[in-house]
Amino acid sequence: MLLKLAWRNVFRQKRRTILTLLTMTGGFFLSSFSIGWMDGSYSSIIMFFTNNRTGQIQVHREGYLEDPSIYSTISDYQTVGAFLDSIPGVRGWAPRIYSGALLAVRPRRPGSGNVFSNSAAASVIGIDPAMEEAATNFSDRIVSGEMLTASAADTSYTATGRIVLGKELSIILEASVGDSLVMLTQAADGSSADRMYVICGIVSTGNADIDRNTCYITLSDAQILFALEGKAHEIAVMTASLGTVDELTLDISAGLSGRDLETDSWKTFAREFYNGMKADEDSLKVTIFIIVLVAAMGVLNTILMMVLERRREFGVMKALGTRPGFIIRMIVLEANIMGIISVIAGGILSTAALFYFSEHGLVMDPPLDYGGTVFREMIASITPECYWIPAICVIITASTVSFIPALKAAHTKAAKTLRKV
Amino acid sequence: MTDNNVIVAKGIVKTYDDSGVPVHAVRGIDYTLEKGEFTAIIGPSGSGKTTFLNVLAGLDTPTEGKVWLSGNLISDMSGKELSDFRRDHIGFIFQAYNLFPVLTVEENVEYVMLLQGVPHAERHNRVMNILEKVGIAEYAGRLPMQLSGGQQQRVAVARAMVSRPSLVIADEPTANLDSKTSGALLDMMRQLNEDTGMTFLFSTHDEIVMRRARKIVILRDGKIDGKASPEEIK
Repeated sequence: MLLKLAWRNVFRQKRRTILTLLTMTGGFFLSSFSIGWMDGSYSSIIMFFTNNRTGQIQVHREGYLEDPSIYSTISDYQTVGAFLDSIPGVRGWAPRIYSGALLAVRPRRPGSGNVFSNSAAASVIGIDPAMEEAATNFSDRIVSGEMLTASAADTSYTATGRIVLGKELSIILEASVGDSLVMLTQAADGSSADRMYVICGIVSTGNADIDRNTCYITLSDAQILFALEGKAHEIAVMTASLGTVDELTLDISAGLSGRDLETDSWKTFAREFYNGMKADEDSLKVTIFIIVLVAAMGVLNTILMMVLERRREFGVMKALGTRPGFIIRMIVLEANIMGIISVIAGGILSTAALFYFSEHGLVMDPPLDYGGTVFREMIASITPECYWIPAICVIITASTVSFIPALKAAHTKAAKTLRKV
Repeated sequence: MTDNNVIVAKGIVKTYDDSGVPVHAVRGIDYTLEKGEFTAIIGPSGSGKTTFLNVLAGLDTPTEGKVWLSGNLISDMSGKELSDFRRDHIGFIFQAYNLFPVLTVEENVEYVMLLQGVPHAERHNRVMNILEKVGIAEYAGRLPMQLSGGQQQRVAVARAMVSRPSLVIADEPTANLDSKTSGALLDMMRQLNEDTGMTFLFSTHDEIVMRRARKIVILRDGKIDGKASPEEIK
């Protein structure tokens, strides 16, 4: 009887109910779509950011992140890599060496002579071409020339090596593919090191700041140049999905315990980026709160009108012996029936919209620059959060805003109401 | 007080506060209603008929005095106790029918039994039985708005009687009906009173109603001004 009464009461004033349902459905849809859109966008931004360079998890020598010294190395990175290969959910890994150097280029323009006149300081990253390609698809970002391959310098200290420059760095050095480059640096054993390279490629990672001061040589080259044979500073780990990163970080950390190594997720080693994401998430929560508040006002207005119009009816119910609890449950149920209808309707709409944008994405024109990384396409994702968060908001809102009017209705004085009306 | 009394009221006073002005609606009434009576309370507008009925029915609490209904002191009951007591012992017929517009005739009539927790099969049998008696069984599936005023009031009578209360209270039951329909409704109510022995107490200033009452109580300025038979009123 309670459900029957509530259901029929909801549709007594069809026009008003439809307007309220539209408000609530709109609120659900906007909340659900915002969550799906932000979740998809964040996931794609994070995956783009981490896949492009950092990986989702990194393994370093203990203390390297706080003090990235050339001496803080992973001495048995191949063994660590073999362990990583055994963990389900790890898509790939890539060892790296980091250091700094002074680069000088001999321009090929007329009148420049045979002098290495253009110079710049740069970060040097030693990468294993095959493993880096498998982990980060490095070659996809080569905009000119070609990817590194194992070079003569890998086995001979005196041979000419191959180097890839960041796009902006190549502009600063006025260098292009085929140019010769000299690198001056200091090795881990304290000796000074210099090497001749031929520029084999120009890379654009999507982050101009990185491309302005970064060059890439092969890992073996870097190990020879920096006197770090058999060592690496970092192992970047690529995971199959973003959702498993925290769990995998713990697994890897546990597996490597006792080896003076530390394992961190992107949330730690890219803390600024993560904090930026968190700030955006907080602003999303404010947005959802405002949406829910607007929908709540609509529901409150409707429930108040319903209660006001039906005062006489509540008086009759009370006269016939209906307990206040029955009336409260009936009115709260009426609000929740509208809430459930809105959740279903809003869920269908948001699923359709999220599905479309998860399949087709939205091309950003102009591209979005997020912390120096440029994104050209955003996509939505469909996750359980898209549904349960707005659904709970709608149901709690409906129950909350209907409770006070319900309480008022439940305590209607039968004699007074029946006398007045 | 005897077992034959449905209502015993002693020293009933009811004073309202109307925006700071005290309104003395009932000014000290002693009244007894016996089982099986079919009694009308008459009096001019503002004489206190509705207020007196509300106090007797436990819808309102008296400012002073005590009311016993079927031997229970209802004037001292809590709100919850009164609510349950009304559900189980009193049937109401209102001037404006006051049926639930979203429920069908059958659902309206069974409402009180639902509150009482009467099983479905028994509810259905009792509803159909009373609807037969009031002559609207064929409208069981209709909504109140699909019925005439007279038919709606018959549904209200059925709703008031179906739970077999000790007392049926009707406040101006024919006020919204034409004279022919009023007469028919009162004839039906009186027949039900005779058939079931159920006690009826109603307020009215409708002559048609007065003529069909067995006893008449005259109320004036919040006090009982006398008792009469229908013949005396004529």
